[in-house]
Amino acid sequence: MSAVQPTTTTRARRARTIRERRGFSPLQVLLLGLFAVYSLLPLWWMIVTIFKDNGQLFTTPGLWFASPSHLLDNVRKVFTHQDGIFVRWLLNSVLYSAAIAVGSALTCATAGYAFSKYEFRGRNQLFGLILGTIMVPGTALVLPLFLIMQKLGQAGVPLINTPWAFILPSLVNPFGLYLMRLFWDSAFPTDLIEAARIDGASEATIFWRLGMPLVQGGLVTVALFSFVAGWNNFFLPLMMLNSTSLYPLTLGLSVWNNTTTGTERLYTMIVTGALISILPLIAAFLTLGRYWQGGLATGAVKG
Amino acid sequence: MRHRVTPWLFLSPFLLLFTVFYLTPVGYAVYLSLFIKKRVGFGPAKDVFGGLTNYVRALQDTDFLRSLANIGLFAVVQIPIMLIVAIAVAIVLDSVKGRAQRFFRTVFYLPYTIPTVIAGLLWGYLYSRNLSPLNQFLTATGRDPLDLLSSTVVLWSVANIVTWTWTGYNMITLYAALQNVPHDIYEAARIDGADGWNLVRRVKLPLLRPTILLTVIFSIIGTMQVFSEPFVLRPLGYVPDNITPNTYIYLAASRDVQYAYAAAMAILIALVTFLFSGIFLRYARLGDNT
Repeated sequence: MSAVQPTTTTRARRARTIRERRGFSPLQVLLLGLFAVYSLLPLWWMIVTIFKDNGQLFTTPGLWFASPSHLLDNVRKVFTHQDGIFVRWLLNSVLYSAAIAVGSALTCATAGYAFSKYEFRGRNQLFGLILGTIMVPGTALVLPLFLIMQKLGQAGVPLINTPWAFILPSLVNPFGLYLMRLFWDSAFPTDLIEAARIDGASEATIFWRLGMPLVQGGLVTVALFSFVAGWNNFFLPLMMLNSTSLYPLTLGLSVWNNTTTGTERLYTMIVTGALISILPLIAAFLTLGRYWQGGLATGAVKG
Repeated sequence: MRHRVTPWLFLSPFLLLFTVFYLTPVGYAVYLSLFIKKRVGFGPAKDVFGGLTNYVRALQDTDFLRSLANIGLFAVVQIPIMLIVAIAVAIVLDSVKGRAQRFFRTVFYLPYTIPTVIAGLLWGYLYSRNLSPLNQFLTATGRDPLDLLSSTVVLWSVANIVTWTWTGYNMITLYAALQNVPHDIYEAARIDGADGWNLVRRVKLPLLRPTILLTVIFSIIGTMQVFSEPFVLRPLGYVPDNITPNTYIYLAASRDVQYAYAAAMAILIALVTFLFSGIFLRYARLGDNT
């Protein structure tokens, strides 16, 4: 008898699921489908294009493959054009973004901890000021920063046209600070701090040994957002870096886009380079997706 | 008593960087914007204090005002379209379960992970007169190809790139907010007879309100800063210098070497952003919630 009951329950549940599925109108399905096509279209075009050479690009249907394939040719060109500078750009992007990710996760963690766990004068005003700077447009920051660094260079502090000119300003991440504060608020109870203090632990020990392991999720989230922001940044490196060998991928590809060899642009090579340069991001997104969503959910709900 | 210094120690790395790389540049921009170049006698031009001269000049500069008008129009058209689509998709996706839901979520979020420069390049090629699959289709069916990069329509071509990049991001934010709603609320609403459209209008949209406000504010801030997309389209088509305030300011600084004037315009943009966000917040009566 007992074997029958689960079956009935399952059947009832299945019936309910089907009823819920019937709730989808064709309009809703159409909405999801159209939006998916729109989201994927340029990416599909990119995948199709890396198999073509420039001639095929203009003569074959834009949204379908052409034969013969020129994929290997394109990849070879990307990595060998201008003495293989693309590899240099790729390494630069990895290095800059990694430094930005680690640095901003750490600074946001310590500052977020202070805002979350200590009472001090001007706490709310300071927090408000930092968050308010999100509204300052990039140009209002980067342009004067460029001039300041230029002056520093003349005064003997060589920052401009070095990786630091891009990395250091990128470490300031107001949104990351906001997220870290929320993580500290929710993941590290004040009782635990009080108990540790009674046991004689120092403030630094409490932070590193007890606190940091509890906010790992937050650290990964902030690091991930900072990594992507660093990888995608264009305006700051555009102003700060002068030598082609220091460029990150975004800047390098844009320079290739500006150059022409003869009358012909380097279309398919650039598209191949573009696809290679987004692969790390897509990989990070697919493997660490839950942190993305966690971060967005926290920001959205508390905001 | 013991903890008067400790919080500041924890704050110091962030605050140091924040002061050096955020506050100082903004302060310097304000300072710089108050100077003008003046030629004294036959000597080279010197920087002299000019008060608000640069600001007055900006407000009389029809090219700059045009860029503001462009971005204003852009905001009024693009933000509502993007957010209405994002809200609609988030609500539909919220009721999808299992593998399909994961698939759509990933697909919709992908564009955000693409750097703006690369998004600009891809769409730039898709817009190009000779390359565009759309134009291939039009010419194949005997119609005239479109020039999506001509100076009159390029603002909307940029708007499409921005929409492509950010709709999914906003959608995920809204969707995450919906997923955090305890299911009891929906159950209760269902028992009360709310279903379908009623459930959306009377339950889901009000629950989404704070998140919608957040996405509007971030969209306003983001719109005022549009730069990379038109910048990347420049070599591919006919992009006016003043298509957005940021491209105009960038060219004033880097091409025309008018740093002080560029600084003044950048500060005006910051003020306009504050103003618009403030007006919107007040209008939405969220001012006391932060």
